[in-house]
Amino acid sequence: MLLYATRRFGLALLILIVAVTVMFLMIRAVPGDPVQIMLGPRATPELQARLTAELALDQPIWKQLVIFYGNLLQGDLGIDVFSGRPVTDIVFQQLPHTLWLILGSITWSATLGIGLGAYAAAHPNTLIDRVTAAISVSFVAAPAFVVALLSLLIFAVHLQWFPAIGAGEGFWGRLDHLVLPAFAIGLSWVGYIARLVRASMLEVMGESHIRTARAFGINERRVVMVYALRIAILPVVTVIGVGMGFLLSSAVFAEIVFARPGLGKLVIDSITTRNYPIVMGSVLISTGLFVASTALADLINAWLDPRARTAN
Amino acid sequence: MKVKSWQRNGLKPFRAGFFDLILREDTMKIEWTKAPVGRRKFLKGATALGAAAALPGSLASRAYAADAGVLRVRAYGDAQNMDPAHSVGVVEEEVHASIYNKLIQYKPGREWDWQMDAAAMIEQGDETHIKFALRDDIGFTNGFGAMSAEDVKFSFERIIADETESPNKPDMGPLSHVEVTGEREGTIVLKEPFAPLWSIALPYITGNIVSKKAVEAAGGRIGSDPVAESGPYLRASWEPKAKTTLKRNPDWKGEAPAWDTIEILPIDDENTAEIAFEAGELDFTRVSLGSVERYRAGVPNGGTLLEYPSLYYAWLGMNLDHPKLQNKKLRQAIQHAIDVPSVLEAAYFGAVEPSTGIIAPGLAGNRSQSLVPPQADFEKAAALLAESGETNVTLKLDTLNKTTFTTAAQVIQATLAQIGITVEVNVLESGAFWASADNEDLQLVLNRYSMTPDPYYATSWFTTEQVGHWNWERFSNEEFDKIHVSASQLTDQAKRAEMYQRAQDLMEESGAYRFLTHEATPVIHSAGVVPALRPDGLALLRYFGKA
Repeated sequence: MLLYATRRFGLALLILIVAVTVMFLMIRAVPGDPVQIMLGPRATPELQARLTAELALDQPIWKQLVIFYGNLLQGDLGIDVFSGRPVTDIVFQQLPHTLWLILGSITWSATLGIGLGAYAAAHPNTLIDRVTAAISVSFVAAPAFVVALLSLLIFAVHLQWFPAIGAGEGFWGRLDHLVLPAFAIGLSWVGYIARLVRASMLEVMGESHIRTARAFGINERRVVMVYALRIAILPVVTVIGVGMGFLLSSAVFAEIVFARPGLGKLVIDSITTRNYPIVMGSVLISTGLFVASTALADLINAWLDPRARTAN
Repeated sequence: MKVKSWQRNGLKPFRAGFFDLILREDTMKIEWTKAPVGRRKFLKGATALGAAAALPGSLASRAYAADAGVLRVRAYGDAQNMDPAHSVGVVEEEVHASIYNKLIQYKPGREWDWQMDAAAMIEQGDETHIKFALRDDIGFTNGFGAMSAEDVKFSFERIIADETESPNKPDMGPLSHVEVTGEREGTIVLKEPFAPLWSIALPYITGNIVSKKAVEAAGGRIGSDPVAESGPYLRASWEPKAKTTLKRNPDWKGEAPAWDTIEILPIDDENTAEIAFEAGELDFTRVSLGSVERYRAGVPNGGTLLEYPSLYYAWLGMNLDHPKLQNKKLRQAIQHAIDVPSVLEAAYFGAVEPSTGIIAPGLAGNRSQSLVPPQADFEKAAALLAESGETNVTLKLDTLNKTTFTTAAQVIQATLAQIGITVEVNVLESGAFWASADNEDLQLVLNRYSMTPDPYYATSWFTTEQVGHWNWERFSNEEFDKIHVSASQLTDQAKRAEMYQRAQDLMEESGAYRFLTHEATPVIHSAGVVPALRPDGLALLRYFGKA
């Protein structure tokens, strides 16, 4: 397990380096003078020249990359052009909001999805199964932005059950403000996880140990919930790991629609304004998040299912 | 590591998942040991945790009715910088104007005017000298004492100082220095006359007065936190990209502001802001032009719609240096073929009026009508095209990737097609669009600039000096350049108006411009709020009142 974990960590690090390097090159390939865009039309030539030198934009690309990684190894992600604050402060101030959103979304979608999938698998080829399938597929098909806007209008404007905008204050305030955004971006995952769990459970239900459990007279509910679901849930772990990354991209539009602070909006704004230090800091953290979540999912999977270690 | 038997060793374990906290009864010391947690136990726990997380928490009762003393407004961005010298514009000025003072402030209303603020007296001595005397009841927080003429000198001179590198330096024009003639008396000295000082400098961004002692103690620059405030409000807190909270300054001796607290929420998208208003979470916000018709029929929650003209100016520009656009008759044909009312109906939902130039109504220099009427004259356009001798004309129209501009571009494409000109619309992302100054292949461009309430600010982007920077049409006219300089030195507003009108005539005569609109600033506010707005609809928060 230790060997597997070490290899997995090494792979994660390599993925992170490649992804961040690609992003570094891509942002610099986008047209437009970043200094002029960052500083606006009235910046003095002296200020423009100073910022160009500070950001090493007058250096060859390869040298800029070396400088970036050199600073990164010292924990220095640079200073924000507009506010003068360290990029690390800015990024880590926004990160918790996005993490709350992602964790909230994946928690409720996994819980409901697993329940729906298990229920459907326990009643295969029945009306219940078909209805559950229809619900799952419709959840997957529903565009997240439509769900977000409709839920805003219904639950925030019309019924006023939940707040429309912001991230809230305090634990319960933040939870209150999390409901609608988490619902909007997690809904499609409910359907996806439900279908996955159903398929996985049907496969497991045909296994010999299930037949043995039934032969021993163990009640069907226990057979499904204890013997089958525990095995069937393993693919969900991997999916959740990958899902964290996709939810990160969904978080961007949720942060815009619900006017929430967060990493996604920070990335969008900083790309638009060519704020290179913030772009790279945000990309580094969000990519790291994605890589870490997939690596963690793989590690958990390997720990839960030793066969996965051998296969890798 | 095995867990030691508590029975053998007199220990009591507290099981906490992966690790057990062991409390030794004999020594009362705490030891941690790793407890083995199997896969089955983990899966059991995870399932239970997931189920528990799905249970609804006790949500606080929702009280969306506004606290009587709290005003919640929307800003389109987050105010990150508390240094007026490095303010990027309206977003930060909304906060600065509340926490700092100026010699004079804009007066809320429909006509551009100013009123006293920190100045007890201010007058134009001669063309290059402005005398002032401060009130004696304004002080800075954090123990930095009463506001003095030295603070005014420091605040203004640092804007023009090279070491400050302030992008707002041009607003101060030919400011030379500030003479301190007494504790609270001084004279602003200009190198040459500069009328816009009264309209774009003193009552706006660069007019904010900061504490010399506080800024010097902070190393010469103010960052994201104010170092000393003097206004009717204090910036109580700032949650980046979430909320800026202003609270009443208990030491403010001037006219008391109506609201105890102002919460400024940065909301980028106007539709989101509208939904928030309808949900009762905002008291004041600008709304999109597409919603104006709906709000004219009625604003939810007993609110009110107010419509103001804006200081933006949108136009279609033609690159005079491009080989395809050298022919003046062709350019004039394009001017006459674009039907501005159709563009405005489609792109702006019919909620705005056609403009006559780059200077907005209400300002000196605004033209009552343009040389080319806003309605298209296809017959005349076709005749001009025939005179030009150009055939099979195909042009590229660059535009920003915003719905308003892409829609306008499509209408222009359709109307130019009526006289046989083919237009290819090239939609650009923000960064690429704003880099168009370097694009030598630029042909037609749909553009929009903003301005401050002085015509000087509008003409400054179309001088010969700005070719290759912000003058994308590469318009170069000696008379225009002279007008730009000399009109700024006049204090006779009627004469200035005449000159700026002539400047816009020159722009239009070149054939390089088809003026579209000044857009609009529609805002909505809740019933309990009496907004205080500039003539362009921008909020002066410190003057907001209660109904």
